[in-house]
Amino acid sequence: MNAHKLIRQLFVWILLSAPLVASAGVIAHPGVGVSTLSSASLRNIYTLRQTQWPNRLAIVIFVLPDDHPVHETFSKEKLGMYPYRLRQTWDRLSFSGMAKAPIEVRDEQEMLAQVRSTPGAIGYTSKDISYDGIKIIRLD
Amino acid sequence: MTASRLSGWINLLLGGWLVATPVMANDMAGPDYHIQGFAAQGLIGSTNNNFFGKSRDDVSTEFTEAGLHGMWRPLASLSLSGQLLYRQAGATDEDGLRLDYAQADWQFVNTDATQLGIKLGKVKLPYGLYNETRDVPFTRPGILLPQSVYLDNSRDLLIAAPGVFLHGSHVHDYGTIDYSIGWIRPNFGSESVEYSFLGNTRPGKLKGQDSLASRLRWDTPTDSTLMLTYVDTRIDYAPGRTDTLNAGNIHFRNLLATVQQRLGTVTLTAEYGEPRGEFNDFGAALPNNVRTAQGLYLQGEWRFAPAWEVMLRHELIYRDKTDKSGRRFQAATGLPAHTMYMRDWVMGLRWDVTPSLMLRTEYHHLNGTGLLPGPDNPNFFSREQRWNMWLLQAAYRF
Repeated sequence: MNAHKLIRQLFVWILLSAPLVASAGVIAHPGVGVSTLSSASLRNIYTLRQTQWPNRLAIVIFVLPDDHPVHETFSKEKLGMYPYRLRQTWDRLSFSGMAKAPIEVRDEQEMLAQVRSTPGAIGYTSKDISYDGIKIIRLD
Repeated sequence: MTASRLSGWINLLLGGWLVATPVMANDMAGPDYHIQGFAAQGLIGSTNNNFFGKSRDDVSTEFTEAGLHGMWRPLASLSLSGQLLYRQAGATDEDGLRLDYAQADWQFVNTDATQLGIKLGKVKLPYGLYNETRDVPFTRPGILLPQSVYLDNSRDLLIAAPGVFLHGSHVHDYGTIDYSIGWIRPNFGSESVEYSFLGNTRPGKLKGQDSLASRLRWDTPTDSTLMLTYVDTRIDYAPGRTDTLNAGNIHFRNLLATVQQRLGTVTLTAEYGEPRGEFNDFGAALPNNVRTAQGLYLQGEWRFAPAWEVMLRHELIYRDKTDKSGRRFQAATGLPAHTMYMRDWVMGLRWDVTPSLMLRTEYHHLNGTGLLPGPDNPNFFSREQRWNMWLLQAAYRF
């Protein structure tokens, strides 16, 4: 295989894999009363600025561990922040009593289970597909 | 039981509990409550002067921090939070376990653009970038906060106080504005604070009166932060039975300016403060005077790999901006001039081994003893102008 062909294959591979990595979908409990969020609102929620849904329900934030690949993708692609900066924001606001820290779940299975069963919940998964009893939030 | 043996026991208990609970960690958060905590141990070595214990030509283990933090949100608009803190820092802090803060926060306006709330209780004081979480190792830019602005000598004063704050934030196209303004009764009762205000421990007591604390912060869409903090407080002195000082008072003000720019994985920060103390009616032993200090640091942090960060900082403090070299002070008191200033070059390295374990190391190259902890170095004349210090810290969180 010559170098030219190798580079082309590599390029195709990057093009194919990028959408898969970037497709972290935002999910929520069906009772949150909205089905779309602006990028700014999503960022306000995940930086703990916005703490209530428009229907006054308290927002309960779920996250995967800081070094989880899906969390890294979500953080960078959807919030435009490095995971370590997000963690710093949470630590500074939560330890000072200004906001409640997000709830960390172990894996995507637990993420789905928690978002399904917790009123006001918001979270994310690696696949943008629909699940029973969970709302998909579209970003605009 | 001595303080150090007690601290050993608490370390052991906390350590054992931390090791035994990882399975439980998941149950420590629910939709309306959250519990988190940390424990950290430092090692300190230095030349010529002591810092947090007997570190001079030796290794001090007397820097231990542990906290248990809880928040409960019974209503969407009401939260109750508090923190238990265990801390030992050489002779400057031997209090061990204490209630760090306990506050109620009622957010009566909460839309996606505007928040407005009132918090009261023993509240965390807004001061610069790092003060409210100054004891949480993960939130600091280094093992030690910049002493020029976050003086450990005055931590009891800055940490938390009974009071009430109005706070709010507003999100707009031009960025986010955060503000808080409040009334507090700061704590001047500690030995270190007495050292930094009266130059030594005195037989009497300093007592904080009604004080104003305020902060205005602007985060621009270009990842910059601009901030102003203003504190205005009055302290009364109640003399002891045999005291060379009269019942005087201090009017203390501080204006602190903060600038931070975040560029990808690089963070550049500068903070500059001018604490000003006006001393009145203490009598002949401490004539009426006004003294303005200057504190400044410049700092760069670079997260060069997802789990690694380097930090470089330069800081300086002049305890009297009209007498930067301290020569006038030396002529007047006979005490060493180098106790009036300090310049520090700091290099640090941080490694987040896992999301819950952090290791850090730091090296300080210092000129001057202006912010040397008094209780660790009781003899003025054995303090030396030039000194170096290294630190190591391991911190665990849950």
